Amino acid sequence: MDAGTIKEFRKFKSIDKYNTGTTTYFLLPFRFHQVNNEKEVLVNEVGDFLIVPIGTSTRIANRQINDKEEIYADLIANFFISEKPIPDLIDILATRYRTKKSFLDEFTALHIFVVSLRCNHSCHYCQVSRVSENKQDFDISIADLKAGIEHMFRTPSSSITMEFQGGEPLLAFDKVKYGIQYANLLNEVHNKEITFVICTNATVFSDEILEFCAQHNVVISTSLDGPAFLHNANRPKTGTKSYEMVMQGIELAREKLGHDKISALMTTTTLSLDYPIEIIDNYIENGFSNIFLRPISPYGFALKNIKKNHYQTQRYLDFYKKGLDYIIQLNKNGHFMVEDYTTVVLKKILTPFPVSYVDLQSPAGMINNVVVFNYDGSVYATDESRMLAENQDFTFKLGHVQDSYHSLFYGEKAQYFSKFWSNETLAGCADCGFQAYCGADPVFHYASQGDLEGFRPTSDFCTKNMEIIRHIFDLIDREGNDIIKIFNSWINNTPQN
Amino acid sequence: MIQLKTRGIPINLTAPTVATIISQTWSKDLVANTPSGQTVFLFKNVPPIQDKIMIVGIATLEYLEEGDIIYIDTNGSIHTLFRKNSHHNALFITDRCNSNCLMCSQPPKNVDDLTHFFNINTSLIPLISKDTIELGITGGEPTLLGQRFITLLGQIKDELPNTDIHILTNGRSFAWKHIPHALSNINNERMVYGIPLYSDYYRQHDYIVQAKDAFNQTVLGLHNMAKFKHRLELRIVLHKESFKRLPKLAKYIYMNFPFVEHIAFMGLEYTGYTIANKDLLWMEPTEYSDELEDAVLYLNAMGMNVSIYNLQLCLLKPSLWKFAQRSISDWKQNYLKECESCSETERCGGVFATSKKHSQLIQAIK
Amino acid sequence: MKVEFNENNKIVLKIQSTLYSISVVHKCFYWYSGKFDIDIESVDNNLIIKMSNIPDDMDKNSLISKIKKDLLDFNTREIIALETKDIRTLLIAKAFANDDEYDESPPGILDDPIGFNPFDFKK
Repeated sequence: MDAGTIKEFRKFKSIDKYNTGTTTYFLLPFRFHQVNNEKEVLVNEVGDFLIVPIGTSTRIANRQINDKEEIYADLIANFFISEKPIPDLIDILATRYRTKKSFLDEFTALHIFVVSLRCNHSCHYCQVSRVSENKQDFDISIADLKAGIEHMFRTPSSSITMEFQGGEPLLAFDKVKYGIQYANLLNEVHNKEITFVICTNATVFSDEILEFCAQHNVVISTSLDGPAFLHNANRPKTGTKSYEMVMQGIELAREKLGHDKISALMTTTTLSLDYPIEIIDNYIENGFSNIFLRPISPYGFALKNIKKNHYQTQRYLDFYKKGLDYIIQLNKNGHFMVEDYTTVVLKKILTPFPVSYVDLQSPAGMINNVVVFNYDGSVYATDESRMLAENQDFTFKLGHVQDSYHSLFYGEKAQYFSKFWSNETLAGCADCGFQAYCGADPVFHYASQGDLEGFRPTSDFCTKNMEIIRHIFDLIDREGNDIIKIFNSWINNTPQN
Repeated sequence: MIQLKTRGIPINLTAPTVATIISQTWSKDLVANTPSGQTVFLFKNVPPIQDKIMIVGIATLEYLEEGDIIYIDTNGSIHTLFRKNSHHNALFITDRCNSNCLMCSQPPKNVDDLTHFFNINTSLIPLISKDTIELGITGGEPTLLGQRFITLLGQIKDELPNTDIHILTNGRSFAWKHIPHALSNINNERMVYGIPLYSDYYRQHDYIVQAKDAFNQTVLGLHNMAKFKHRLELRIVLHKESFKRLPKLAKYIYMNFPFVEHIAFMGLEYTGYTIANKDLLWMEPTEYSDELEDAVLYLNAMGMNVSIYNLQLCLLKPSLWKFAQRSISDWKQNYLKECESCSETERCGGVFATSKKHSQLIQAIK
Repeated sequence: MKVEFNENNKIVLKIQSTLYSISVVHKCFYWYSGKFDIDIESVDNNLIIKMSNIPDDMDKNSLISKIKKDLLDFNTREIIALETKDIRTLLIAKAFANDDEYDESPPGILDDPIGFNPFDFKK
């Protein structure tokens, strides 16, 4: 460089010398959704968001934002607009996108083994037909169990979950034991990170069972619907003893396996919907620091009753918001308690990481995340699809466990489902502001509306998720940093200091 | 403030050389050895001339210790390259820089000194004791050394395999993918690159570093480095131009660079270019304490590793004390009169001796 | 948008085709087709939307207000979608590409006053 240029190089320049000099800006892909009466949220292709006054999206699209506004900097920094047709940082955005979808590399992680239909309870909401305790024709065969486990090890996923369900899987403990031992044997070669889960009503623990579970680091997932009056109301046959029995079971399991190895899941009924606070308090009393405020399962007999389901969805949303509000309050008062479903959504909103959750992902969880090996050797794409099979609807049956891995996981059925399992391409979802945080559920839509694509305006899946996500943004808008701190503590499962 | 340079009259010195101080004489003069095995004598006064390499009439020698490594130039200047009892040694690559940061504490020079320092460093590295815990690499902008930078790092890996290497660079060169690739071939897991990022908004960053496209180059560079699995640290200097968007920068870092292993928020040294730009930059650290707390606690809550450097505890909110490190290099560390009655001097890193001005609000904590 | 008819349980709206594209109108009224019967027709340069089955107790003015807002929003969505279609395709292609090739065109230069060539570093 000549002396003049060198001098210029070392001269300090003002900030406007560092503009690209563009007179207008270019749009990057983004969507938007109203949050409340004043605000809308802008969401870009990788899930970054900005909460802005209503109408900002239109101002942006109409090139009405000028570069002196603070929001201009936010829009550039967060990849909503660009000063060049192809932004210099497009590779960053591409890497971010790849990261968000990288759960696909892992493919199927959750492998559900329905080892038996036998059950010692008859919970009135159970979608699976139960058979009484003694009929061993309803247990999985060793051959099918082995075949299922061999398929499990064919997944590319480096970490897998083997989940035992039923009926009551511990009534077929011999099969559970065999399954875990065989899986461990195969894992000596594959070296995957493997988690064993048993979904049980916690009433048939024996010392032998608990000993085995402790040895193999098994996680117990049990059913706890809330306080005794709720829990017992769902189990008319066993009645008032149900709650005590499950409490005893939990105590026993905690003693032998460790407090953190026992988790509880509630089943929500119309009765539950009036008692969100009581249910949460009950979970706290029983030493749980997280709860999943589940919606009423639409599967089973009530499925086709559209009006009833809509009404229930509204009532559920009230239940959820009341419960969430209460849990947030507890956190504000220094008591660490997490709501699980909210946390799944929060991870998508507040982190750059892939979030793989069976019921809320795109591409959908069916096959991509979960597969079910049934007691009779049939293989299903999701847990719910085996419930459809109970009603002789085999739409989501992938085949038989003795079939090849390829035909089950990549076969014609899988290929067919793939047309409907990405919300990026579904009617209503394609333009939705919450697309990045939501998912697709062809099984749900098929079961409730008769069609894998689904009809968004009357979809309870849509109504529920749209309102939950909107509510979360509304909270972020109204409470700002105070609530973000609580949400971050849930995401990292670490209480605020 | 520790002395690092002195001079005397050279006798029989035909070429510049590095040398290691090996002993003190009874008269507190020093004896040093060169890599080629020659002995060099360093005298405070002027003894009778002998047929040996001598530097005589040196004003001060007391600051040099056994094990220290020096560079002696043919004009009799003696530069300390490496101090045995210091935790803050660094290899100096060049005074050149392709940025021109408003707050540069070591303003760049437009002289091509790459070969000069390269020769010094390649002679120095084999002399450094193998149990050295940490060694910095600094400048100017080290990557301007080009292919010889790879050579130097390779030599460091061979000679000092157990030493943590901390490279300070603006990271802009890393936007050219072949450079991170070349660096990964060195295969030294002990190398960490400390790269500054001052805003999430390109204009702000480019303005602060006074270089067009610097932001985009640095951001692309960080991703390229991450692709090649290099260890990365981000450094943010706190001043009037960088503090406003600090919480937004923190979020930008978490969302786009969650792979960085450390983030350092750094107080401003009142030296170098900062003095010329004081009206643009200087502010009381207490005035940005909200933004700093926001940014630090957020990154910490999200599981990132955060430190605060160069800020005194009396100027920080107590919630941030646990992040404050004693970071000021020993050779430029100092305490003020106000600090004499402070209960926290053990924990606190003190102030920059090189700073011509300090915060008005420094006060003893009781 | 003109409200041509507003009586009992029916509303008829007329929208100039130059104002909103047919796809914007379709996407907008898709969301209303759960609660109401929607009929969309193209007549001359207008789109005629017939909404029936509107409950008696529904505030029709609020409904029309909401429709106007939604049309505006869907129009904005279309502007964004059309303009960003290509960059979105590029983005997703890049996201899933196996990039063994170096895209050696980073922005700007690295020179200091002496001059610096990044290719001084050998590949």
